[in-house]
Order: sequence, then C-alpha cells, then structure tokens
Amino acid sequence: MTSAVTIPRHGGTGSRTAVAARARQVVKAYGSGETRVVALDHVDVDIARGQFTAIMGPSGSGKSTLMHCLAGLDTVTSGKIYLDDTEITGLKDKKLTQLRRDRIGFIFQAFNLLPTLNALENITLPMDIAGRKPDKAWLERVVETVGLAGRLKHRPTQLSGGQQQRVAVARALAARPEIIFGDEPTGNLDSRAGAEVLGFLRRSVDELGQTIVMVTHDPVAASYADRVLYLADGRIVDEMLQPTAEQVLDRMKDFDARGRTS
Amino acid sequence: MTVLKTSMRNFLAHKGRMALSAIAVLLSVAFVCGTLVFTDTMSTTFDKLFAATASDVTISSKDSSNTGETTSNTGKPPVMPGSVLSEVRKVEGVEDAEGTVFSTSVTVIDAEKKNLSPTSGAPTIVGSWNRTDARTMEITEGSAPKGAGQVMVDADTADKHGLKLGDEIRWITAVGTHSAKISGITDFTITNPGAALFYTDVPTAQRTLVGESDVYTSVNLTAAPGVSDEQLKQNVLAAIGGDYKVLTAKETADENQKDVEGFMSVMKYALLGFAGVAFLVGIFLIINTFSMLVAQRTREIGLMRAIGSSRKQVNRSVLIEALLLGVIGSVLGVGAGVGLAIGLMKIMSQIGMDLSTRDLTIAWTTPVVGLVLGVLVTVLAAYLPARRAGKISPMAALRDAGTPADAKAGWIRGLIGLVLTGAGGFALYLTSEADKASEGSLWLGLGVVLTLIGLVVIGPLLAGGVVRVLGAILLRIFGPIGRMAERNALRNPRRTGATASALMIGLALVACLSVVGSSMVASATEELDKSVGTDFIVMQDTGQPIPPQAVERVKSVSSLERVTEYKVHEVALGTPDGERVTGKDISAADPTYATDLRVETVQGDLADAYRPDSMSVPEKFAEDHGIRLGSTVDVAFDDGRTGELTVRAITTSDTVIDGGAMYTSIDTLAKYVPADKMPLDLMVLASAKDGQQEAAYKDLKAALSDYPQLKVRDQTDYKEALQDQIGQLLNMIYGLLALAIIVAILGVVNTLALSVVERTREIGLMRAIGLSRRQLRRMIRMESVVIALFGALLGLGLGMGWGASAQQLLALEGLKVLDIPWPTIIGVFIGSAFVGLFAALVPAFRAGRMNVLNAIATE
Repeated sequence: MTSAVTIPRHGGTGSRTAVAARARQVVKAYGSGETRVVALDHVDVDIARGQFTAIMGPSGSGKSTLMHCLAGLDTVTSGKIYLDDTEITGLKDKKLTQLRRDRIGFIFQAFNLLPTLNALENITLPMDIAGRKPDKAWLERVVETVGLAGRLKHRPTQLSGGQQQRVAVARALAARPEIIFGDEPTGNLDSRAGAEVLGFLRRSVDELGQTIVMVTHDPVAASYADRVLYLADGRIVDEMLQPTAEQVLDRMKDFDARGRTS
Repeated sequence: MTVLKTSMRNFLAHKGRMALSAIAVLLSVAFVCGTLVFTDTMSTTFDKLFAATASDVTISSKDSSNTGETTSNTGKPPVMPGSVLSEVRKVEGVEDAEGTVFSTSVTVIDAEKKNLSPTSGAPTIVGSWNRTDARTMEITEGSAPKGAGQVMVDADTADKHGLKLGDEIRWITAVGTHSAKISGITDFTITNPGAALFYTDVPTAQRTLVGESDVYTSVNLTAAPGVSDEQLKQNVLAAIGGDYKVLTAKETADENQKDVEGFMSVMKYALLGFAGVAFLVGIFLIINTFSMLVAQRTREIGLMRAIGSSRKQVNRSVLIEALLLGVIGSVLGVGAGVGLAIGLMKIMSQIGMDLSTRDLTIAWTTPVVGLVLGVLVTVLAAYLPARRAGKISPMAALRDAGTPADAKAGWIRGLIGLVLTGAGGFALYLTSEADKASEGSLWLGLGVVLTLIGLVVIGPLLAGGVVRVLGAILLRIFGPIGRMAERNALRNPRRTGATASALMIGLALVACLSVVGSSMVASATEELDKSVGTDFIVMQDTGQPIPPQAVERVKSVSSLERVTEYKVHEVALGTPDGERVTGKDISAADPTYATDLRVETVQGDLADAYRPDSMSVPEKFAEDHGIRLGSTVDVAFDDGRTGELTVRAITTSDTVIDGGAMYTSIDTLAKYVPADKMPLDLMVLASAKDGQQEAAYKDLKAALSDYPQLKVRDQTDYKEALQDQIGQLLNMIYGLLALAIIVAILGVVNTLALSVVERTREIGLMRAIGLSRRQLRRMIRMESVVIALFGALLGLGLGMGWGASAQQLLALEGLKVLDIPWPTIIGVFIGSAFVGLFAALVPAFRAGRMNVLNAIATE
C-alpha cells in the first residue's frame, strides 16, 4: 500500500476543497549512483482539511522528509505537491517563503522561539513579517485557548519548555494558516506538558477547524489524531482512523516484528 | 599534548571564523614591517648615494653647510678663491684635485617656462661636470657640456619632462637668467632618489651661479695610492690652514646621512604610530572573536571539563589557538609588509622620489619585530576570553545551550567607566584652563587616554541607551525587521560595545584632527583679515629667496602703489640682562611693512622700529631678557658687524603670523652687513593703487611670468593656499588612519559573520515561518548600521571633545578660533552608516544562502 488517497476530493460544504494538501508520486532521493538513498518512494497522500493527521514510522522511514516536502521546506526529486490547488513543487524560493508565511504554520521540536522577542511578539511574528495586522479577537481567542494570557510579556528564557511550545502553537494558530505542520512538537516535553500541548492541538482542530499534520514516534501523541499514516522505507504502508494509543502501539510492534523477520 | 591537539583541531575547524582576525593581525604587522622595510630601503639608497658621490677628501668654504646644500640667503653658494685649488695640488698625497661649482639656489625652467624642479622636496642642482660625477654617472646620449651654450641633464629629469638633445632650458639665479641647449643626457649608475641635476662646464657654472670667475664651491681630492683619507685630510689642513672645511669621504657621507636621517625618523615614527592605532583596533577584533568562539563552544568546553580537563588546560587550549592565529597572521603580515614597502616605493616614485627595488633592505630585526609584536598582541588580546573559557562549569555540558547571551554589563563596570570618563573629561577641562603649553599638553594627553579607556569600558552600557535611541529614530520605519535588528544589536552589549569601540578609535582621531585643522584655518583666516593690509604677496613656496631681477620687475609695475621687501638675517643678541642669545633671526623690511602687516604693539609704535638703528622685540622676549622701550641691544649680524640697536617697539606675542619676529629696517641691516652678504628678499608685498586691484593682479602676474617659481597671491589666493596646505596634510593623515578604520570595519564584518553562525537555528526558524531572504538580509544590514552608527557617535563625540581641548591648548599659541567642521563630521557620520551596510554585505549574503532545513537541524 503506497497510497493514502482515501479522502474524497471535494467535501460537501464551502468552496474550498476537502483536501488541504496532496502529494502525488513524490520521490525524494539523496546522492546518486551507488550511494543513492531513497527517502520517499513514489508517495501519494491526501491531507484532509479540518483533520488532525499523524505521520508515524521508525527512524529513517522518511516521515520527517515527507513533512518537510509537504511544507515546502524541502524540494522533491520528482512528483508533485499541492497545497489546496497550488502546486508548490517548482516554486521559487521567494514564492515558497511567502507561502510558508501566509498559508502554513510550524511547530518544531525545540527552539521554536526567537530569544530576543517576548511571547506576544513571537506569536505575531509571521504576521509582522508579512506586514499584516493580526485579527485582535482571533488572537485573544488563540491566546486564551493555549492559556498564555498572563505571560505574553515574558521572554522565552523566562518560560518553561511546555509554555514555550504553547507559544509556538499559538504562533502557528494566530495567522490562521491553512495547515499547521508539527515536527515532534512534544518530543522534548514531559508527558504532562506534552499532553497539554496535544490537547490544545486537538481543540484547535475541533473548535477552530484547523488542519494539522504532525510527525511523531510517540503512540500516545498519535492517539490524539484523527488519522495515522505509517511510513516505512519511504512508502506509506498503512493507515488507521480514530486510533487509540494501544492500537497504535500494537501496530508499531507489528511493524517492528515484520521488519525483523523479513 | 592532547591540549595542543584539541587546539589545533579547533583552530582548523574554525579557520573560517579566524580568517578576519588573521587579516587584522596581518594588516597591522604588515604596516609595521612595511614601514621598517621602506625606511631601511631609503637609508640604504641614501647611504649608497652618499658613499658613491663623496670624494676621498672634500674642501669647501667655512660658510657652506656640511651637506653641501647652499642654503645661504644671498642666493649664491659660499665659495673659495681659485688659489685653494693650486695650493692643494702641491700637497703631498694628492693624486688628483679638481674644483667644482654648484648651487641649489636655482630654478630651472624649460622653454615653455615650466618649472623642472622636483615636486618631492628633493633639491635642484646646477653644477660643473666633473670627474667625480663621472664616477657614478654615464653619459647615455650626446656629450658632456662645453661652453656657455651647453648643458647636460640627468636622465630621470629628462624622462619626466620629455627633454631631448637640443632643447633649450633656462636657470634662474641671483646672478640672472641663463639659457643653454641640452648637449647630453647622463644617467646614474646608482639610484638617485629624486634630485634634478644639470651640468655645465666650470666657467659657465662660475659665471651663472656665482657671477665671478676663478672661484669654487668645493675642491674634490683623490688620494694617491697608499695614502689614507684621514692622512690626506691632515696634510691638507697643514698646508692651507683651518680657514676651510675639510671632510673625508666618510665624514661627508655621515654628515649627509645625518641630514636625511632626521626626516626619515620622523616619517618612520609617524607611520609606526598609525600602525600602533591599527594594532589597538585589532585587539578589539581579536577579543571579540575569541569571546564568541568560547561562547559558541560553551557546551563543548563544559564536556571537556566534565571528563576531567582542568581549568588551566581549557585556558591554555584557547591561548594556543591564539598563538596559532598570531603566528599565521604575523608570518603573512611580514610577507605582506615587504609587498607594502614595494608598493610605497612605487607611490613615492609617482610623486618624484625614486627608490629602486635593487636596494630593498630587510633587516633581520624586521621580521622579528613583526612576529613578536603580532603574536604578543594576539595572545594578550585572547587572554580575557581564555580566562572566561576556563571558568565555564562542567554543568554547561548538560544545559541546553541555545544561544548564550553574555552576562549583563554590571554596575561595577559602569562605575569604573564613569569614573574614568569623568576623570578624563576633567583633565580635558584642565587642558583648556592651563596657561602653560607644557602643563596643558600633559592634561590633554591624560584626558585623551582616560576618556578613551573610560568609553571603551562603559561602551556596553551605553550601547543599550544609544542603540535604542538610534533604533527608535532609524529602525522603526522598517517595522518588525528593524525591531529584530535592534534587539539583535542589544542582545550582547559587550560584543556590540567592543565592535563599536574599534570603530570609535579611528573616527575619534579623524574628528579630533578635523576640528584642529579647521580651527587652524579659521584662526589664520581671522588673523589675516585683521592684520594684513597689503593686496599681494609674492614668494616662493619652497621658502627660497627671490632673485633681485624679479624684485625689480615687481617694482616696475605701474599699477602698484607700494612694494615692500622683506628679508631675514641671522643675528646674535647681547641683551641688557647680560645674556647672549645666538641663532636668532631678525626680520628686515621696508618701513611700509608696518602697514602691510599690522602687528599690535604692547609699547611704542611699530613704525619707529624702522628708524635708523632701531628695532622691535616681541613681548615675551622682552620680559625674558629685561628689555624695555628704549633699551639698547647689541646685535651681531652674521657675516657683518655688530651694531647697537635701540628697541622702539614691543610687539604682542599673541599672533600667529610672524609670531615672535623682531623687526628692523633694511637700511639698518645694510649698514652692518656688507653688500655681497646681504640676504635676498624672502617675500615681497605689493599694494595696488586705489581701484586698480584687478589690473595690478594681472600686471604683477605678467611681470613675473619669467619666474614660474614665484607665486603671486592676493588675500583670497593666500587663504586658499593655506586651506589647501592644511587640507592636504589632513588628507594624508586620514589616509593613514584608513588602515585603523579598515581593521575596525573588518571587526564589524567579523562580529556579524560570527553572530550569523551563532544564530543559524534562529535564522532557520525565521526563514521557515516566512521571513524572506531579502528581509533577512535587511535585518542583518540594519544591525550592522546600528553598530556602526553607535561607534561613529561615540568616536565623533569623543574626537570633537579632544579637538576642542587641543584648540583651547593651542589658543596659547594663537589658535584662537574654535571651528567645528560640521560638514566633515556629518559626512563621517553618514559615511559610517554606509560602512555598516558594506560590512554586512557578506554576512547577510551568507545568511540568506543558508539552507533552511540544515539551519533548523543545527545543534
């Protein structure tokens, strides 16, 4: 199974397509000749709008590469990637930067914030860069959702790891991007702080209608998603809808076992 | 051993980050070595020249200078009678004797009346062609001069002015103007550093240079085989007595060498001074580099400490890296220094001082001095950062490093800085209050050093305030990009402070000198307006006297109302306090001089000083020697009799023009000095008839068209010339300070480049969330501009303070007007912004080119 194109192209409501991002026959290879390593091997995937998608897989499976390609951070060797109806493969750096700025939000594992800016400035940074005024009401709602109202004037060094990640979530949400990509956003947090951050992501999907794609290797984190995609050796090997932590863990063990016996 | 290995690896791993520091060391060392090689080469060139041109024994007149240059004010060289030659021919041990006549008080022009004199200050010599000359020169074209109509010219001069065989040239002396056709061209077999040489036969030289026959300026003797120079000298002295100056070849060469040495050592130490400033600036750069390397390596060093490295070992490993940097920078610097010296020689030959690479002299001390200085300065500069590295706790290995910010500049630092700056400021204030120049310059020196150190110490604290203000004015227009740039400039105040300090030093010197220079122009201009009552000044820029024929021409101009001649003569004074003051100059002028240059008197009327047997003295001299109005002074005129002159006016010492001059009339001078020893005019002042100024200006220029060496200037011209002169001097100094400023700019580049490396992840993050390349580059440029402007603000402020204090001090010497050259100051300030932009070019480009994914993944 190399395809995860299981979502209908058009949803019933609204003018936007029900698919927020698509990958078609995406190949990403490093090096050439004998040293050629294929990180993504003809991957087809649709990311459903308004859903929380988790991408899982063992180290080196290509899950981070897939996310980077979908987010326009990395280039593909072949294939096409669309954000909504815009093909982003082949875009020049300038357009890609603009696209990331206006239509995509990011949450990284660590080092998400600029140390020179306070929490609020960090949250509004993408809009500041774009020269746009943030939507006040929306901003307040986001800040409230992630529970940072009392700490907006703090510098990142004055915040705990969990708080820093919450600021990062708020920044990703504040600009109302079409899609948010998270690269192990809870990887550096203890389970309580992690649960908090994941809870916010979940709520932002449920309450704010946000589309989120998250790379993780933590079954508990994946259980917050609506849908889990499994990658191995650069291919999508399975998917699971409405997962629970146990199911995800079982499936992972299954893969591990298969990997060892094959 | 391991320490050495880690240092080596670290050094190699970070060689890119070391590059700019190495360049700073290289430049400073190169400047020092270049200066040494250049001055040594000049020494060698002159040594060879003097050794080759000196005869075994030279006899000349007692009045001649030791170096043979004829500086006499009469416009004629001091000569000996021809009998000396025939007498010494008979002296035992003389193989050959020949008389020569030459003069440096000449102006040589071509047929188009263009001056053929070197512009470098080297002499123009017209003389007889002798066997002594033929030893070091060969005739390359034509033949040696014979008869009054022929002259031979040296090849360099011929080249420079395109002179060919058969061309007519003229030389102007106190005797008159003589013209001849070029019969030959002769070339030195050694390096001639720049003198223009013209040869005639002996009778022509005697007639045109001295106006007499059978006289010689010197007699050159060749010793017979087996007779030493010293022996020959003794024989000659025994034969002709002590009435003449007799020098052996070695003595002549030594005297000549001594003469140029003064000039060369001034040049050498001035250049070394500028190299010192560059070193000082380089220190800041090196401190910054190592501080940043240590900060970036905090985790690594923590790990080393955790697995058992001692503080000392960590400390030493950083110092060894500095040592490597110092050695590499210095070795390259020594090499570059030789290149610089050759370049300097090329530039010098452009302005007329020919030096040959054949004579390139690299003393063994030069590379040693360069290496020791470069290594020592580098290691000393790295000492503080190395100590800081040693203090890093093993815990640092465990901490999530992120981007380390240095500790907030503490209040102790602020206090020390404030005290130093305050003390320096007070010293500068005392400078302006001092009544004695010696005392004042002491305060000035102290004030300069203290304020400089104080500002360097307090710089990081000031950075906070000043950068915020600059940011508020300049950066806010750029919105969030500007705000981030401001925050970045503020995040390491110590680093920003050190980077700006480096720029501050160079710019402070620029500002200080520009204030002093423009105050000089302003003061002189004011003085000119106040005291000069004549329309035109005629003089030669080299300070040589004016030929009498030219003075006659001036007098013949009908549109002139009056012409004042001005001469200077050396005197010894016997004063009422019983002292004998020797080596003084007295200014002898026509009585109208009192109107042409209004010098205020303290007592008496200046016009009375021009009465027979009268004179004036300046106030200070009068006070020192108990002279009052009506006192008599015994004036022993050089080459003349002693007269008893009455002091009829005491002039104020408070004047720039003619400061300290004593006046008497030309008639009085003529009474005591024989006609053939009377000095020529140094200056002629002319005033036009009413309403005929313009006509007179034209007439005067036309009358003197045969004397291109003489400059006719009205007051406007004169002020312009003064301004040009000071402007040229300032430009030369700015040029030399450029080195220090270049090193400071390297410092800004260095800080930015290392900051960019340090902030790789941050930059990656910003790029990921949508900062465009252009915005990123702009942000780095803004940061750079703010740092540069901060440095400029400190430097210009400091420099203006120094300059104003210096002017207050020099006010004692007549520099009464303080003039701050705002266009220059503002120009430098704006220029600094461009320096900032320029410095950010490469770092910004590199930041823009960073791969976003790699940047995010960087640890």
